[in-house]
Amino acid sequence: MALAEDQRLENPLLAGLPVSRRSEPCALVIFGASGDLTKRKLFPALYSLAFRQLLPEKFGIVGVARSEETDDEFRERMKAAVQEFGRDEFRKDIWEGLAEGMRYVRVEANEDAALDRVAETLTELDRSRGTAGNRVYYLAVPPDAFETIVGGVGKRRSAEGWTRLIVEKPFGHDLASALELNDLVHRYFEENEIYRIDHYLGKETVQNMLALRFANGIFEPIWNRQFIDHVQITVAESIGIEARAAYYEKAGAIRDIFQNHLLQLVALTAMEPPIDFTSDSVRNEKVKVLKSMHTPGPKNVVRGQYGRGYVEGEEVPGYREEPGVDPNSLTDTFVAAKLFVDNWRWADTPYYVRAGKRLARRETTIAIQFKRAPHPPFEELAAEGLRPNVLLINIQPDEGVSLAIGAKVPGQGLQIRTVHMDFLYGGAFRTDMPEAYERLVLDCMRGDSTLFTREDEVTEQWQLVDAIVAAWRRDRPSFPNYPAGAWGPPSSDDLLQRDGRTWRRH
Amino acid sequence: MAPTLTSVSEIERKLASLRLDEDRAARLRTSVMTHIAWVPEEWVEAAEDVLAGLAERHPSRTIVLFPQSGKGGLEGEVSVESFGAGENRSVCTDTIRIHLHGTSAEHPGSVVEPLLITDLPVFLRWRGVPAFGDSAFEELVDVVDRLIVDSTEWPDLPRPYAELAQVFDRVAVSDIAWARTSRWRSMLASLWPAIARVERIKVTGTEAQAQLLAGWLRSRLGRAIRLEHEPSNKLAGVELDGEPAPFPPGDPPLPADLLSDELDKLSRDPVYEAAVSAAVT
Ligand SMILES: NC(=O)c1ccc[n+]([C@@H]2O[C@H](COP(=O)([O-])OP(=O)(O)OC[C@H]3O[C@@H](n4cnc5c(N)ncnc54)[C@H](OP(=O)(O)O)[C@@H]3O)[C@@H](O)[C@H]2O)c1
Repeated sequence: MALAEDQRLENPLLAGLPVSRRSEPCALVIFGASGDLTKRKLFPALYSLAFRQLLPEKFGIVGVARSEETDDEFRERMKAAVQEFGRDEFRKDIWEGLAEGMRYVRVEANEDAALDRVAETLTELDRSRGTAGNRVYYLAVPPDAFETIVGGVGKRRSAEGWTRLIVEKPFGHDLASALELNDLVHRYFEENEIYRIDHYLGKETVQNMLALRFANGIFEPIWNRQFIDHVQITVAESIGIEARAAYYEKAGAIRDIFQNHLLQLVALTAMEPPIDFTSDSVRNEKVKVLKSMHTPGPKNVVRGQYGRGYVEGEEVPGYREEPGVDPNSLTDTFVAAKLFVDNWRWADTPYYVRAGKRLARRETTIAIQFKRAPHPPFEELAAEGLRPNVLLINIQPDEGVSLAIGAKVPGQGLQIRTVHMDFLYGGAFRTDMPEAYERLVLDCMRGDSTLFTREDEVTEQWQLVDAIVAAWRRDRPSFPNYPAGAWGPPSSDDLLQRDGRTWRRH
Repeated sequence: MAPTLTSVSEIERKLASLRLDEDRAARLRTSVMTHIAWVPEEWVEAAEDVLAGLAERHPSRTIVLFPQSGKGGLEGEVSVESFGAGENRSVCTDTIRIHLHGTSAEHPGSVVEPLLITDLPVFLRWRGVPAFGDSAFEELVDVVDRLIVDSTEWPDLPRPYAELAQVFDRVAVSDIAWARTSRWRSMLASLWPAIARVERIKVTGTEAQAQLLAGWLRSRLGRAIRLEHEPSNKLAGVELDGEPAPFPPGDPPLPADLLSDELDKLSRDPVYEAAVSAAVT
């Protein structure tokens, strides 16, 4: 019995059935398969997706790097990585389903012909695994390897199916290099085929920020200059630079964290409600925020570098003593700034942001500090415990939200003190929190770019960073200026004290 | 016995996982503060007695630090307790006990920072005489909002009061010895105006109570007053210029109540500060 064409398109039997989050068949090509990211993040994420049956049934993975390795050695190494870094129980059947579709291709640096071997392997996967010409290319390589790979892949696009490109941070080193990189990828790819990763956007709490703001009637009406005194965003790490001196020396906190994660958090906090949750509507609103942020003057930006100190009860070396770091390095390991979003909603409401290494604790938070009650009708003594209301969005380490409210102390009199109510997302919904990379890889395979950074966002972010860095070139900071384990240099506290405010203490 | 945790990150992970294992009802948590106790070996027993019974009144996180000798490292242990608080509601509090060795005992600030509940006041109960000037004390003072001592525990009074007075500008201070004199101060205040001319006070009580009452009178009345002290383990009598003062009404408060009251106070106590300063002059 022959079906009419339109009957085949819309299957009426699917109505009311759960929509699958599975993507169409595809092959994932990982450039940088021997690297740290592949081992620690990508494969554990792929395994978790397989565990939840979220990967397409017809799926294959091609690992590419310069190291010598056979398909089987690649499989063994990744199996060990999944066992070490995965969040789910290791099941042989699931792993084997994934491993069957794994291939490894060795390349020479800057060897264009090597991409032929990758293309051949992909054709083979199309045949043996049914991946249908659909490709996701993941660039988990250092930026200097981008050009050959992007060009090589671009010239060999498969005739059928779609092609998408995932690009890791850092996307460029400054505005000029980011524009060059955009030009390079646009020579071969459309903007909607390019997925620039900012893995913070893959975190549940960050997405929950949107839910919190736009799904609850109680927050949006007060989400503005009239009710909010200021916003503080902290991305604090207690670790140092680990073994990444070569990268970090050139990047510093401003390129490593501020340019991407921090500015994205500002954009999500400050953005207007999008008309819908399609990728362009959300990103249009974020880019408007980034455009309306004016460059902070030099007085409103603070940089720091850690010296020797104590973290978690142990003595740790200063930045300049880390292996691979110039003993006179002027690289910033801390940056704080006072930013303004110049629009009707936020005029004159400062966003204080800070990011750094070797700070007192690991924490990523967005704190919305509301204005004080105009005239607390309590005696001065009674109200001494009354701090302003703070809505705290915890992104790391515990994902959750808390609200600080003033409440009466039980007993006689009317003494007020601040009570904290908080809940962890993991607690409210019994499911485990997915890792950011699971979400992002899956979204890319499904063609949803909402949680990736668009070209114009990147450009705006670099413009801001370039202006700050240009001002820095004019003077020599006296580094180190904070001991490991502190909350950055004293000038960071001054930044807020001048406005009669303080950083959230703990 | 729960397995020992040997790093701050292990303690953090344990706290998070314990909370996820609790009843659903307890997951919405309310807290009002972080309470740190610094407990050198000789104070361990006394401290545990007071801690029991505190949790219900102050939904909080308690971090008990046991400084010890040794090369370095730490051993921690975490427990979460839930208390019923009316229908279907419960209050939960975490207690973290950490033994600090060597470097970590010298730099406890870096151990507690990651464990504080964000945005809430932090109290430090320091057992015995604070190690004024030592890195451990200095670091903790910078982390906390209020220092709670009991100067009854201190030898060589009034000398250490001079050092205590140095930290008043950095942190609000409570003294349980001072709280214990509160009933007596109310009684003495009721003797106004006759008491204004007093020249000599004799206190039967602890050294701390004697010194603080004398310091208080000096600072309030703005002149020199001589102190005579008759040792006793509790405040049993006051004489003014040789005349016994009347006994204040009511019972003396219990140790857990005293600490509990101090944990409700948030700002500096200028009257206490002046009394301490006048005790040393
Ligand atoms: N690790 C993380 O947690 C993390 C987080 C955020 C962003 N990133 C970004 O992700 C990228 C990779 O980071 P990583 O930490 O995995 O670095 P990595 O450990 O140094 O690995 C780099 C990988 O690239 C391969 N490679 C280098 N040059 C190549 C070339 N010319 N052609 C093909 N492969 C080449 C290397 O393999 P061979 O030496 O065998 O060729 C290796 O597999 C970087 O852009 C980094 O900034 C990493």
